[in-house]
Amino acid sequence: MDSLITASARALAAGDALGALKRVALRDDPPALALRGIAMAQLGEHPRARELLRRAGRGFGAREELARARCVVAEAEVALAMRDLGGSPRPLAAAAATLDAHADRANALQARLIAARRLVLLGRLDEATAALAQLDARGLSPALAAVAELVAAELALRSLRVDTARASLAQARAAAERSGVPALQAEVARALATLDQPAARRQTQGGEQALTLEAVAALLASQALVVDACRHGLGHGSAWVALARRPVLFALARALAQAWPGGVDREALIADAFRTRRPDETHRARLRVEIGRLRALVKTMARIEATGRGFVLQPLDGREVVLLAPPFDGDQASLVALLSDGAAWSTSALALALGASQRTVQRALAELETEGRVRAIGQARSRRWLAPTLAGFTTILLLPAALPIE
Amino acid sequence: MNSKTATPPRRATTARPAEIVREYGPFDGAGRVNGVTHDGQRVWASVGAQILAFDPTSGETTRTLEHAGDAGTAFDGTHLYQIAEARIDKIDPATGQVLHTIPAPGGGSDSGLTWAEGSLWVGQYRDRKIHQIDPSTGAIRRTIESDSFVTGVTWVDGELWHGTWEGEASDIRRIDPASGAVLERLDMPPGTGVSGLESDGTDLFYCGGGESGKVRAVRRPKAA
Repeated sequence: MDSLITASARALAAGDALGALKRVALRDDPPALALRGIAMAQLGEHPRARELLRRAGRGFGAREELARARCVVAEAEVALAMRDLGGSPRPLAAAAATLDAHADRANALQARLIAARRLVLLGRLDEATAALAQLDARGLSPALAAVAELVAAELALRSLRVDTARASLAQARAAAERSGVPALQAEVARALATLDQPAARRQTQGGEQALTLEAVAALLASQALVVDACRHGLGHGSAWVALARRPVLFALARALAQAWPGGVDREALIADAFRTRRPDETHRARLRVEIGRLRALVKTMARIEATGRGFVLQPLDGREVVLLAPPFDGDQASLVALLSDGAAWSTSALALALGASQRTVQRALAELETEGRVRAIGQARSRRWLAPTLAGFTTILLLPAALPIE
Repeated sequence: MNSKTATPPRRATTARPAEIVREYGPFDGAGRVNGVTHDGQRVWASVGAQILAFDPTSGETTRTLEHAGDAGTAFDGTHLYQIAEARIDKIDPATGQVLHTIPAPGGGSDSGLTWAEGSLWVGQYRDRKIHQIDPSTGAIRRTIESDSFVTGVTWVDGELWHGTWEGEASDIRRIDPASGAVLERLDMPPGTGVSGLESDGTDLFYCGGGESGKVRAVRRPKAA
């Protein structure tokens, strides 16, 4: 390394991105380009950062594969910050292998962490969990450890393991404090705050009650038969019937749960499930068919008895029935609730689940997107919708770990 | 200036593994080693925010100067010279005071510094050059081209040696000061970089170890 590169890297490591930039602003040799790219990324100039890092990577010589691998990692992190998830994950995996081969553990870990974060953003949660489990977190820098714990917390929350998420966030907070990076600390605080916000409502005949994620998790773990209008399904304990793609059946289940322990009239069920106010004999016949289908699906959990005027839900083993609704009303709330499973949904699947038209769903999604409450990946027909991540992954601050460039 | 027509007589380059005699550091609170020099008794190393001196026998740090050092360090018998950013500072080792400053010839792409025969010799890292400059003005007296990245320069017994470091490969080599032809090469183990080079005047070289934060003593081969 030469003197200005060293001085610039020293400034960058101390958090002085402008100072780092000033020292190498006019230089176009690969180490200078890399430093300029990293400084630009820290200043939020992502497209420029990416271009500089790409040029730096191309400029390093055949014997400088370590420096080139570090550029690939930095570029991947910038792509993540730009939410550009379209590229192939292969260069990053290759860079991680190169870094391992050169015993650059910190940057190899960083590369693998970026790969795991990318999978979370893509909604490929099983793969992300597996990737995270393979990470050997020993000796991680505090900043990297904090991010690893944030990702773990996110994955835990997606599967409603709230205790695990809390434990991860506590570790993330401790690590963020050790790292001394304020933005990272703020991110952990934000993630912790979401745990205390109402996540759903419990609706009964008597009224409704806001529930935190923890209360939701407790409810789902209880003996009660939960009809879940957030995830569109019903179950108790680990038993679960998904009705997200059976909107009519779910509407019936929801209406029955709302009336429990009472029953619901046929007319009301028809109005609810088929959205019509003028029922005729064909609707009554169809109701019988649909109730029959629902009965078959839930037979291990509950019976659906016919009464003189309609139907009543009777859970087995004397369980209680609880209706869980999204934290607020409306199509948007239902969309956000559906997306909260962290999976990537297509517009048509969401429309199907909500029993609404694709046009309606698209409109609602567009509004939510401008509010930053949902995000999209892919284009046109392959476009998928996801809930925003808890940890916003705004921490480009990790990049100093990608130093030194040589 | 260099003679224009001098074509070097082709001499076989002898290459052998570098014999590392001893390692010093990493030093308390210090970062990467950017430059080394030797004042006859102590070894000086610039370690980012400081320049420190240690006793090569005990390995103990005996002195630290609060002075930034981003690349080569040199000693002229009285004063220290230190490359910081794009300048070379002349420093009183007793007080740490900066007595004089000249611009570095590479404008900040400098790496490696030594003093010999009334001149400073400055390596220009990726440009693979060594400049001989006037220590009072910084004017370039002549330039030697190398075929590798230059990361340290030293003169001993009329021999010009320089350190190279490119990616994973690093060596210490003796070159013909007239032509730049490589005469002799000591290959460092893979992954061991050389950042800063200085002879102790007899049979050892001291090499800065870059990110490792170490200074290594390497045996200088006996003249054949």
